[in-house]
Amino acid sequence: MLPNRAAVEGVADQMALAEVKGRSLWADARIRFFRNRAAVISLVMLGLVAAFALFGGMFAQYEPDFVNFSLIGSNAYLGVPSIETGHYFGTDSNGRDLFARTAMGTGISLMVGVVGALVAVIVGTLYGATAGYYGGRVDGIMMRIVDVLMSIPFMFVLILMLVIFGRSIFMLFLGIGLISWLDMARIARGQTLTIKNKEFVEVAVATGVRPSKIILRHIVPNLLGIVIVYATLLVPNMIIFESFISFLGLGVQEPATSLGALINEGSRTMQFGYMWQISFPLFFFVLTIFAFFFVGDGLRDALDPKDR
Amino acid sequence: MFDEVKKPLVSVRDLKMHFPIYAGLLRRRVGEVKAVDGVSFDVMEGETLGLVGESGCGKSTCGRAVLRLYDITSGSIQIDNREIGPTPQSQLRSMRPTMQMVFQDPQASLNPRMTVEDIIKEPLDEHTKGTDAEKREKVGELMDAVGLNRKFAKRYPHAFSGGQRQRIGIARALALNPKFIVCDEPIAALDVSIQAQVVNLLEDLQEQFGLTYLFISHDLSMVRHIATRVAVMYLGKIVELAPREALYADPLHPYTKALLSAVPEPDPSLARATERIILQGDVPSPSNPPKGCNFCTRCPSVMDICKDVEPDYREVRPGRFTACHLYNETTDAADATAGHEAEEHTT
Repeated sequence: MLPNRAAVEGVADQMALAEVKGRSLWADARIRFFRNRAAVISLVMLGLVAAFALFGGMFAQYEPDFVNFSLIGSNAYLGVPSIETGHYFGTDSNGRDLFARTAMGTGISLMVGVVGALVAVIVGTLYGATAGYYGGRVDGIMMRIVDVLMSIPFMFVLILMLVIFGRSIFMLFLGIGLISWLDMARIARGQTLTIKNKEFVEVAVATGVRPSKIILRHIVPNLLGIVIVYATLLVPNMIIFESFISFLGLGVQEPATSLGALINEGSRTMQFGYMWQISFPLFFFVLTIFAFFFVGDGLRDALDPKDR
Repeated sequence: MFDEVKKPLVSVRDLKMHFPIYAGLLRRRVGEVKAVDGVSFDVMEGETLGLVGESGCGKSTCGRAVLRLYDITSGSIQIDNREIGPTPQSQLRSMRPTMQMVFQDPQASLNPRMTVEDIIKEPLDEHTKGTDAEKREKVGELMDAVGLNRKFAKRYPHAFSGGQRQRIGIARALALNPKFIVCDEPIAALDVSIQAQVVNLLEDLQEQFGLTYLFISHDLSMVRHIATRVAVMYLGKIVELAPREALYADPLHPYTKALLSAVPEPDPSLARATERIILQGDVPSPSNPPKGCNFCTRCPSVMDICKDVEPDYREVRPGRFTACHLYNETTDAADATAGHEAEEHTT
């Protein structure tokens, strides 16, 4: 029953060799994430959607802003989706190729979502972590600013901005950037309050680490898990937000387009039987948003093992 | 040991740490928790001062206040001949290398997102210049010194046991060659077998690097093992401070007597012989301590004077400090006979 000497020494030799790079919590989370089938499938879907947005235009037979005058008026039978005519997704009511326009719209929608989420992650996290870490009066002032900004009806302000300064993608990004970080700042601040009382932060203070470094090295990495999850759930929100603005006709300007604008156009002709004009943009819209939600869920399960 | 003249490395005078209590709609200040209320002691160079007391008596707060992890209410703290009591936090940063701390919970005191090497290297990055390779080499030396395999440097804290984590914490505290280390219950979260290892490691390191410890614990037998002198705290005040053997053999303050009688005695025949002093009642709230002596509500030998007059904390016998009215009349005699030996210890 007793292990013999040779075997024990063999184990010891094995141990002596084992200078491995330890598995970080991030690596652990990655492994857990890739075990989640729905999340992985969604990630693949997102990759495909992104590839479609990036490279779809190359495969299109027409430019997205090329108006095929011969089709106007005969959309119902000439503009249907077909491979022979080169209009894979058909044409819109102005005779433009819907495949090229959907690829373009998906790209712009994704960009809006990702930019909004990035602003939220960078500005919101740093702002919230700073407010939470310093606490006291600094915290009070910084968070009251957030409260004031939040209490402004932003949809109204954004619509005013778009009307006054003219409709442009830049204005849209600015508007979305202005609101997206507010929630994130609150979440980051709340998390920071729990992390800053942990002993390893106290150790850093006792070692004499600068407050800015404590925030960047000790606090931000430990709240990044929650921030990433929230950011992936924020992307679809931003896409929906942009779509709504575009649906109102205030978002992206013609001839550029977004999924929201395409759905808006498609909804006008839906009743005349041009179902393809709404169904293709809607398909990509729903697919993107579902995929983001599933990836966000997967990340939450992966990064917060206590919840499982 | 007592014959050589030692100079204090750390000297704390009348240290007070009061935490304000805010209440009501307007968050007005309604009172304060007197966590540490007028504590004075010296820690001599190379010695270990044990700080004992029950939960909530202010031991940890005292240790942290000495390192100025808090902004203290009042009092003076001198470490290595530098006064750090009123210094603002931003200026304290450069003095931090002299004084370090080992924390109670080795799990919580290590950043889970950093490798062991990064954790031990952080103080070096912050306070020393040198190439990355030099720092790594230093980390390796520190890991050797605390008995950790150098090959574990790239691993994360969650891959280690409690004892190993505490070794990482000790290595980090040693990184900047400190003179003074506050050990805040470094063994309380560990297994008994590991406790002995860590305490022995601390003793070895003390010898090797000439460290001075303030060893906070509620484990009286462990303090007896490691400490040179022992201070007993009750409700934010030091009630007695004495050399280890004297304190354990002949406690002066009634609270110390009660505390020591609570230490389990492994020998059954001796255990039956020793009398257990059981204190009545609870510890009063530190936000509203009793008038007079803090211990007067529970003291078995309470006198009338105890309820009115707060006893002075003073040297009643050579090297033995206590705050108790029972020793009022002996003071003069002790002062007269103690002579120059007492003077050595007071300053």
